[in-house]
Parts: sequence; C-alpha cells; structure tokens
Amino acid sequence: MLNRIETWQVQSKEGLMSQIHIDLPLMIAVLLASTVSAIAIFSASNSSEAFLTSHLIRIGLSILAMIVAAQFSPLFYSRVAPWLYAICLVLLIAVFFFGETRNNATRWIHIGISFQPSEFLKIAMPLVIAKYIASGSIPLNNTNIMASLVLVFLPTALIFKQPDLGTSILIAFSGLVIVFLSGIKKRYLFSAIILFLGCLPFIWKTIHPFQQQRVLTFLDPEKDPLGAGYHIIQSKIAIGSGGLFGKGWLNGTQGQLDFLPERTTDFIFSILAEEFGLVGVLLIILIYLFIVGRGLLIAINSDDLFSRLAASSISLTFFIYVFVNIGMTTGLLPVVGVPLPLISKGGTSSFTLMASLGILMSLHTHKRLIPR
Amino acid sequence: MGNFKTKQTQEAERSVFLNRILFSSLAILILGGLIITRLVYLMVIQTDDLSLRSINNTLRTQSIPAPRGLIYDRNNQVIAENKPKFQMEMIPEQVNELQNSLVYLTELGILNENEIPIIQERVRKNYQFKSIVIKRDLNEKEIAIYANNRMLLKGFDIKSRLTRNYPQGEIYAHVVGYMGSISSNDFQRFDPSFYTGKEQIGKSAIEREYEHVLRGIPGKQKLLVNVRGRVMDEVEKEAFTSGNNIVLTLNSELQKTAYESMAGKKGSVVAMDPRNGEILAMISMPSFDPTAISLGLSQSEFNKLNGNKKRPLFNRAIAGQYPPGSTVKPMLALGALDMGVVDSDYYLPCEGEFKLPNYSRPFGDWATHGSVNTKRAIQASCDVYFYESAVEMGIERMSAFLKKFNLGEKTKLDLGSEKEGLVPNQEWKRNNFESKQNQNWYLGETVIAGIGQGYMLATPLQLAYATSIIANRGYAYKPHILKQMNLNGISEASHTQSQRIDHLMNIDEKYWDIVFDGMNAVVNEQRGTAYGVFPKNSDIAGKTGTSQVFSMDKRSGDDMPEELRDHGLFIGFAPINNPEIVVAVIVENGGGGRVAAAPVAEKMFSKFLELGGIKVAQSN
Repeated sequence: MLNRIETWQVQSKEGLMSQIHIDLPLMIAVLLASTVSAIAIFSASNSSEAFLTSHLIRIGLSILAMIVAAQFSPLFYSRVAPWLYAICLVLLIAVFFFGETRNNATRWIHIGISFQPSEFLKIAMPLVIAKYIASGSIPLNNTNIMASLVLVFLPTALIFKQPDLGTSILIAFSGLVIVFLSGIKKRYLFSAIILFLGCLPFIWKTIHPFQQQRVLTFLDPEKDPLGAGYHIIQSKIAIGSGGLFGKGWLNGTQGQLDFLPERTTDFIFSILAEEFGLVGVLLIILIYLFIVGRGLLIAINSDDLFSRLAASSISLTFFIYVFVNIGMTTGLLPVVGVPLPLISKGGTSSFTLMASLGILMSLHTHKRLIPR
Repeated sequence: MGNFKTKQTQEAERSVFLNRILFSSLAILILGGLIITRLVYLMVIQTDDLSLRSINNTLRTQSIPAPRGLIYDRNNQVIAENKPKFQMEMIPEQVNELQNSLVYLTELGILNENEIPIIQERVRKNYQFKSIVIKRDLNEKEIAIYANNRMLLKGFDIKSRLTRNYPQGEIYAHVVGYMGSISSNDFQRFDPSFYTGKEQIGKSAIEREYEHVLRGIPGKQKLLVNVRGRVMDEVEKEAFTSGNNIVLTLNSELQKTAYESMAGKKGSVVAMDPRNGEILAMISMPSFDPTAISLGLSQSEFNKLNGNKKRPLFNRAIAGQYPPGSTVKPMLALGALDMGVVDSDYYLPCEGEFKLPNYSRPFGDWATHGSVNTKRAIQASCDVYFYESAVEMGIERMSAFLKKFNLGEKTKLDLGSEKEGLVPNQEWKRNNFESKQNQNWYLGETVIAGIGQGYMLATPLQLAYATSIIANRGYAYKPHILKQMNLNGISEASHTQSQRIDHLMNIDEKYWDIVFDGMNAVVNEQRGTAYGVFPKNSDIAGKTGTSQVFSMDKRSGDDMPEELRDHGLFIGFAPINNPEIVVAVIVENGGGGRVAAAPVAEKMFSKFLELGGIKVAQSN
C-alpha cells in the first residue's frame, strides 16, 4: 500500500511550468477558485464594479505573491524559518504592548503600514516546526515534543489574547498537525485530547464574553434571532433556500436584499450556496479537495522530512480553513471568523494563504535538498 | 539540512509519515462527508422550510385601503367626502438617534417639546418596525421644512392618507356621524380583514350604521423589501374596491334652515315626509364639527367636548327623551272622541283649575279658558279639558291609545342608538319602582298624563312620527334616512322604500276632522297658541307644547335660571289635506312652545314652501 503511494508520479516535474517553479494542477485550481471568487464577490457586493475591480487587483497581487513564493527554494525556507518565526514572535509581543485596537481586538501593529503579524505566522509556524523536527529524527522523543509544543503555544497564546480565536486555532493546528504527522505516540495524543477536554471549563472562563456569546449562539441560534443568532440564521436560510440548483447568479434574495451580513468575507459561502445551489457548492468543494489532495501528494512525493512536513501542514491547514468556514456558515461550528480560502475578500489573509500555496509549489518544483 | 540520516532512518521516517498521512486523509474524508451531509440536510431536506423563511424575509404584504364611499343629501350635495391629509410617520427601528431626531424636529418647529416624552412612550409600547404617526395634518410649510431636512431625518416619512371631511360642518353632525380609530370592540362588529391598512371606522350614526356599505374592500400589494424594509419592487397587486356612495333622504336646505333657526339653542328639529317616511331634516343642538373629531382630537379636546354640560355629542333627535307636554293633546282628544268620553257638542267650562276629591291642591291650568269644546281645547291648549278627559278615560285606556301613535316604542330609524321614550301605565309603575307605596298608581298621575306631563317621555323623532300618523289619519311609513346606494359601483340605484304601517285605521273621519280643525286653529285662529307666529291663513296644522322642567306655581319668566325654564315644543304638518311635511321641534329651556318652538317650525314650513315642496318618487 505504502509503496503504491510512492509510485504515483507527479507529471509536471519536467515541464516548462516546472522550470518557472509553477505546479500546473495547483495553478489551475487556484485560478478556478479565483474565478468563483470574482463571481461571488460581484454578487455579494450588490454588483459593484468598483468593488470587483479592487478585488481582482487583490487576487492578482496574491497570485503574484504565490508565484514569487514558489521561486525560493525549500532550502531557503528551511533556513529562513527560525528567523521569520522569531520576528513574528517579537512583533506579536510588540502588538501585545503597543498594538492598535480596532473593534475591541488588538491585532494590528503600525510600522509605516498597519498589518497583523499573526497573519505571517500562518507561514512561519509550519516552516519552523517542520524545520525543528526535521533537524532531528522521527518518531519524536519527549524533549522534542515538549520543545515543539512550546514553539506552537507561545505565539498561539499571544494571538488568543488579542483576541483572535479563529487565527489562533488555525495557527495552533498548523503546528500541532506536524507533531501529529511526526508520529507522536497515540497514548500521548489521547492524553492531550483528555487534557484539553479537562481544561475546557478553564478555557471557557478565559475567553472573552463575546466569544462565549458566539458559542452559546452556535448552540441555540434561535434564542436571539435578531441579535447574536442573526448571522447564523440568515446564513442557514440563504444556504437552504438555494436548494439543488440555486436561485441563479445575482438572484439570491438573502444576499441581494442585504439580509445576509458579512457576505463578502466570512459568509461568502452562503452567497454561493444560495445562488448556485447544492450542485454549485459541491463543485467548489471538489476544487478544494483537489487542492488538498494535490498538496498531500506533493508531501508524499517529497524526499526530505522538512518538505514533507511543511507541505502536509500547509495542505491540512488549508483543509481546516475550508472546513471551519463552511462549518460555521452551515451552523456546524460556532462563528469564529475564518474566511473561505481563495474566495472570501481579504487583504493579508488571502495574501499569506496564496504565499503558502507558493511554498507548496516551491517544495515540489525545486531541486531536491538531498539527492536520491 | 545539516545532519545526515541513514537510509534506514529515512525509511523509518517515511513509513511513520505515510501512516499518519493515511490517517489524515481518512479524517479529511470524514470531515468532508460531514460537511456534505450537512449541506444535503440544509439544501435538500430543509430546503422548503428555509425557502419559505427566505420568502418571508423579503415579501411584505401591504393593504391598499379602499376609499370610503361618499355621502350625499337627496339633491346630491356632498355631506361626507375624502380629503388627502399629510402626516409625519416614523418607523422606530429605522431611526438612528430617537432623542436627537425628536429634538431636531422641535428645533424645526414641527414638534412641541412637551410632545417628546409622549412620543417616546408610544415608541416604547409599539412594535419597532411598525410605523407610528407623530404629527397629523401637516401644513405646506411643515412639509417643505421636512423635505429640506429629510437627509437628517432617517426613519421619518410623510405619508398622505385620505381622511373624512364633512364640508357642511356642524349641520349634519348628528345624522352623518363621524369616524374614529378602530378599537377591539369594533372588530366584534366586523371582520378585521376589511380593515387591514385602515385606521378608522364609522363610529356613529350613518357612518356607523352603513359602515358595511361605505367601507369598500381593501386591495393587496405584495412588495419585495430589503433588510431595512425599503421597497425594492412590487411583486403582485390586487386592486381595491371603492366603498359605495350613499344618498340620504335629507334636504340640505331644510337641514340648514333648522340648524340656523336653532343657533345658540339647545334642542332638536325633525322634519319628515309623511308620504314615505323619509327624514327631510334632523338636527340636534348644540352640534359639533365631525371633521375635527374624525381627524382625531387630543385627549383634552375630547374631554372638553364630552364633558360639555350641553352635551353636543348627544343626538337629542333620537335619544333625547322629553315630556311631550301639550303636543299629546291632539292624540288624546282623538282618543276621548273615539272612546265616547266627550263628543263634538260637549262644552266644558274651564275656570283655570281642576279639582280631584281627596287632593288638597287643585291642578292648575295655564289660563282660564271659559267654555271649551274639543276643537277649542286643542286650539287654546286647555289643560282642564284634558285633565277631565284623562280621568274619564283612565290611565290604561289612555296609554293604550297613545301607544297606537308608536309612543313608547322605537321607530327603528336606520341610525342606531334610538331611545324608546315612555308611556306610563299601572303595570309599568308596578315594575319600575322599588317601594310598595310608589308602585301604586295615583289618580293625580292620570290627570297630569292628560297634558303629557309626569312620567311620559318622547323623543323628537317619535313626536314627528306620531305627527305623521295624525297627518295621514291613521297610518305612516317607517322613518328612514337612507335614500339609495350605488352597490358595487353599478349605477343602478337601490331605493329604500318603507312599508306603510297602519296604526289607527278605524277612527271615525269626523273625529279626525275635529282634531285637524283644532290644530289648524292653533296656527290660524285668534286664541290659537301659535296664532300670529305663522303667516295668516297658513295651510298648516300644529300644536304647541310646554313641558315643565321644574314644578312651580308661577309661570316661567326671564328671571328664572335658564336651566329651570320650560322646554318649548311644537308639532305640525302641511298642507292640511294632503300632508307633505311633518315637523317636530323641541327647544330645551326655551320657555313655552309658542315663543321658543313655533317660530322654528314656521321657518321650516316656509322654507319647504319656498322650495316648492319635495318631489316624491313614484311608489308602486
């Protein structure tokens, strides 16, 4: 079985695209998703051409970021990872003390321009953990596990305190998944899960009241249909009323008549579901599964541990993005503010996401770190 | 990558890694399956339910109120119409800063400062998405001020709506009635679905009685709205059906004459056509402005109107119950003749008072009339003659006879809230008094019943109807106010015709002649109580009446406090031989019938003459 997976060959290795370090299947999937994004954003912005134009520019820049990121070698990423991580950590600490506060959250730092350092950790975290673990060997010993956990939880805690639950979960996941992939013993895994469940009451007390409210709303949205439950109820109405084939592009009443809030960002999936129906969203999910599958294939086909771990972390985190976003718009998960990758309007977040896909391409298209 | 790994180590690492990737792929499939299951649940299983909720989000059904039918007098003069009025409304949930907006409106001079807390209280009690009226009847200047500042007044809007307007003002107030806010009591009368989108309903008189004809059927409009309630599109429209116009039997000229001749007085005038029961005029004074009430009075204005001692809202014509006084004398004279208590040759010497055995005090007459027969007794309104006739007839026969004139019974006029008056007899007294002693009927009570005093009560409408029975010599037509209505917009008119009702058909014609002679003499002969009030030789028969408000030996004079003065009454009909109009007048505390009521009746008759009479629709 395992040997059979090894023998799957990735076709683009020798082609022209490989020369400029682009993975064609991934590229096609990204372009498809971007097209869907443009269609959805135009609808969600009530057919605003100005909004679409600026969105297309952002997509263009993000794709450029992906291509640029693909040009650097895995060796470069492996070397730069600790520094990137350290800078991010310093910036996060700076945010903690001097950060800009918007909407009750302290996430931004202003050095010439305003940005969220937590976004860069989305790149730094998988790289640094992969680098740390690949520098040793797997399965991990206890010291390595502890060190990895410290590396993961230091920034996670800082982001969690901003507060930014969604990002901290995703960043923690991108690190922890590497520890998992590195063969951590199953009994540790179970102990960790039990420990986490045991800590839940404590975590409940430390999270912000508005976050508690989100969880309560998730459990019973109809309790406050015009207040806290409004987003999720309207989102479910939009999705459900789409039916099998949807109401048609620009014809979704939930979106076009403004019943659905945050529809260019967190709830864009609901717009797609309302206007293109189950058939439409299944096709979109297929694109996502293709990207994740392609990423995992790249991981499997990598020859060194760093590439494998980094690639699989990027792919699995990407999947978790999709899962959390669709989960929250459909009422499966509490609303934690995670955008739909490649489709939601987003500044830094779509930029870093594309960059991480660029790294995925780099891991695949560059010369091997260690020759066979 | 600094450290070198052996082939073996690499293989081991690879195997662990692939193992975990396999596990992760499984997890992806499970989580992906979970998402897809959820989507299928929402988009296939629950889709009908959620689609409905999506439609409910965006579709508003709004009623289009139907314009109310107009009301005309018999000559198609407008009595009630619809007029657009502009009012400022507010949808609380659309207003950003309620307090600031209201203060801003006071700065613009549209609101008063003291209205702010009242409005805030109403906002608190109202649904936040429901529009509330914050100022009615805006003038052009206020509309212009609003238009210039509308950007700063989010959630406020000016709506025009049709309001009821009564161009003739006070003249028709009690007959046509007025409109008012719909209360829960009103829904017991009618299906609420007729009133969606409407604020008002007919509250009294014709407006209330013919509500079902006037209101029309509201239309429906389905609107596509966005989350803020802004109308994006009209999806469906169902037109309204206008209310039906109705024509009343009333004649504006007569109505106006009655109103003007009663100016400043309290009382009532009723004029009807004895040939068909059509009410030609009906006035109750003092009156009120029905337009103002329909627009909505403030609480203090309403209290003032309602608490007014002169009771302007009260329709005296149908609900005012007065002792009929001497106006019953023609009827009792007829009764006395018919029963054989008196005959045409019988003369009674009137010495100004009437004595009963066992009564220490005599019953006074207002004058000493000398020798009087039936005709002269009616002409000069001799009390003694009727005291004696009453004793001879006895209360039972007397009350039975008066009831044949429909006294003590509603006329069933199509106006509602009519009172039935009272014709007393022994049984009535037994049933209506608490103490044993008061339940006994005394002979003295029979005596004063002979001149329409004591317990006896009648409404002006009843007197007019009884006079119709006299005028027609025994029969009349049920009184009515509705002349025709154009049902469902079809111009085919449905005339309302009254059935002739025979009340007293076996009275000897010569007795009628005597009564008619007497009533003619009241108007046209010297010593007639209304002689000199009417032009000489008027073709009019009448009878004055004076009912005592306060029992006193001395007759009324200008030194009496007004509210203790007598009520003046007059009943009459014309022409005598083929009567076309009957008039009943009551002037409260106006002094006697001659001074107070007869002049009013005179104006009515001369107006009627001036108009050349009233054409009667050919009945079949």
